[in-house]
Amino acid sequence: MRLFKFNPLTAKKVARFKQIRRGYYSFLAILALVAFSFFAELFINSRAIVVSYEGELYFPTYGAVIPGDTFGLGYSYETNYRELKERFEEEGSDNWVLLPIIPYNPYENNEYEGVFKPAPPSFSEGHWLGTDTTGRDIVARLFYGFRIAIFFSFAFLILTYLIGIAIGCLMGYFGGLFDLIGQRLIEIWSNLPFLYVVIIVFSVVPSSVPVSARIIILLTVMVMFSWMGMTYYMRTGAYKEKARDYVAAAEAIGASTTRVIFRHILPNTLATLVTFMPFTIVGAITAVTALDYLGFGLPPPTPSLGELLKQGTDNLTTAPWIVVSSFFTLVTILTLVAFVGEAIREAFDPKKFTVYR
Amino acid sequence: MPQSDCTPLLEVENLKVHFPVKEGVFARAKRFCKAVDDVSFSIKPGETLGLVGESGCGKSTLGKAICRLLQPTAGSIRFEGESIESLSKSQMRPFRRDLQIIFQDPAESLNARHTVGQILEEPFIIHKIGDAQERIRRVRALLDKVGLPQSSLEKYPFEFSGGQRQRIGIARAIALEPKLIVCDEPVSALDVSVQSQILNLLMDLQRDMGISYLFIAHDLSVVRVISDRVGVMYLGKFVELADGDELFANPMHEYTKALISAIPVPDPTVRKDRVVLRGDVPSPIDPPPGCAFARRSPIEVSEDVASQPGEYIEVSPGHWVEVHPATVANHERFLVRS
Repeated sequence: MRLFKFNPLTAKKVARFKQIRRGYYSFLAILALVAFSFFAELFINSRAIVVSYEGELYFPTYGAVIPGDTFGLGYSYETNYRELKERFEEEGSDNWVLLPIIPYNPYENNEYEGVFKPAPPSFSEGHWLGTDTTGRDIVARLFYGFRIAIFFSFAFLILTYLIGIAIGCLMGYFGGLFDLIGQRLIEIWSNLPFLYVVIIVFSVVPSSVPVSARIIILLTVMVMFSWMGMTYYMRTGAYKEKARDYVAAAEAIGASTTRVIFRHILPNTLATLVTFMPFTIVGAITAVTALDYLGFGLPPPTPSLGELLKQGTDNLTTAPWIVVSSFFTLVTILTLVAFVGEAIREAFDPKKFTVYR
Repeated sequence: MPQSDCTPLLEVENLKVHFPVKEGVFARAKRFCKAVDDVSFSIKPGETLGLVGESGCGKSTLGKAICRLLQPTAGSIRFEGESIESLSKSQMRPFRRDLQIIFQDPAESLNARHTVGQILEEPFIIHKIGDAQERIRRVRALLDKVGLPQSSLEKYPFEFSGGQRQRIGIARAIALEPKLIVCDEPVSALDVSVQSQILNLLMDLQRDMGISYLFIAHDLSVVRVISDRVGVMYLGKFVELADGDELFANPMHEYTKALISAIPVPDPTVRKDRVVLRGDVPSPIDPPPGCAFARRSPIEVSEDVASQPGEYIEVSPGHWVEVHPATVANHERFLVRS
């Protein structure tokens, strides 16, 4: 028995989505990237994956800091595994270190010619795309930046949809004065200038607030000013479904209001919202990148695409590799997600025959 | 004390359902659409009351108001002697077991995202009847009762034909073994051959379970087959109500006569005297004053007479007619008596 059985209509839509190659492969690519980003520490990290020292195996990737003393390095701060590897190779002993493909984390600064300045791409150094203005590896910055952006966008999506669906559905179902007042309040709320609010909020938040809390504050502010769009679709959807006979039939059996909303109206209106999801993700990534570019987004030193773009445009002639790599990363991600969105829209289109393939 | 078997199952008295017509954003409703206007009738246990009339005459509104899917504006609805017209949603729930509805379009009245099993299980879940296994057993019994294969359980409504879907709708309505089912044009959306199957099913169920029907239709030949008594509605009001045989044999009201003359006869050689009405049905928002039908009746009367209201009286035992100079030939014979 299958654990999860699609409604045959939904199954048909999924089958049609798979037929649209460009969207389907983009979806797989995004899925692979997101899955990969869960294990990013194993591939892009300054900590070694495995260290074999004096017959014992160490796995430093996850868990507490292993000080240099452990491997006979004579210091009590975190081991520099790149140096450790060189040292073991010089000694020629049985000890060995397995480093990630890119042995840098997104926060550490590497000097170039003795000072912190952008280093050009170099395979011998392990900086495949060079470093940024403070000597941090660009591949690491880009990938961790992507990871934060995509998870930020998913959180944004879930929160805006939850609020938008709940309020829109209530307005559509109950209608009347509640709907009228709710609509006017939403209209007023939509006209508050989002950017000013962000600037004001972050000028008030004290610098002692940790980075993670700042990210949550940014998310909250963005959600507070973005949930209104969904209410329009849900409101009309609920209005439409509520007047149909199957809802009347459920009421005639004696179904409670919550049952009518959650078992009957919501499942019939939600399908259309799936179409909007990829575009919401694209919007969120763009918004947070733009905010980062302006300096109001994710707080430093969080790796972010917008911050890299800013560095790149500031050093356009001296370090063109920064802007090139961050631009291409951003364009690739947005294009992939937009392809997925296009394909979903096409697959869910009630009018089957269109030009797009 | 009335005898128990004489107590009507459903009594409707002076029921009105008016919808406010709003004009402009801030305007209060000044005018009302009188969809159902001052209607009284009763249904006995095990009886079928047919209800006919043109589109827009308020038949469906009346049916939905009785099921409390619409809030009546005035009047009373008594079910087994208890007033249900102003009960709250939760107070109404126990009555829902005895009072069900079948809709016209089975495609609309079944949730496309639920399987037939889920649809038929819902009444038992809502009324907390049995555990999961017991419910499935009952759902299977329901499928048998309405003549659907057991394999329907996992299928979705759109995988069925119109007639089969209506069987699902009927199965849901009889799930809780109701005493009264409002059938809101249950066969209008079906092919003629399928119509008779569904009508037979409804009559079989009535015989087995003793259900009463309020059978709404616009097809007189359908109503004739299934109904014990027939009511004719025009513009929100009853214009004639009588036993089925009596109504078809001896229609009094000109409107009823016109409807009966419009029943198609499957014999091209028969010449029929059609009673053709003048003009269109007036809007229920601004009905003409007095008798709403007078200006369309084949019996022509002056405007002065037309603007006098008619009188709904029992002309012979069980035969009620809206008596007005324009609606009933030789109307004086009835008015003298009253």
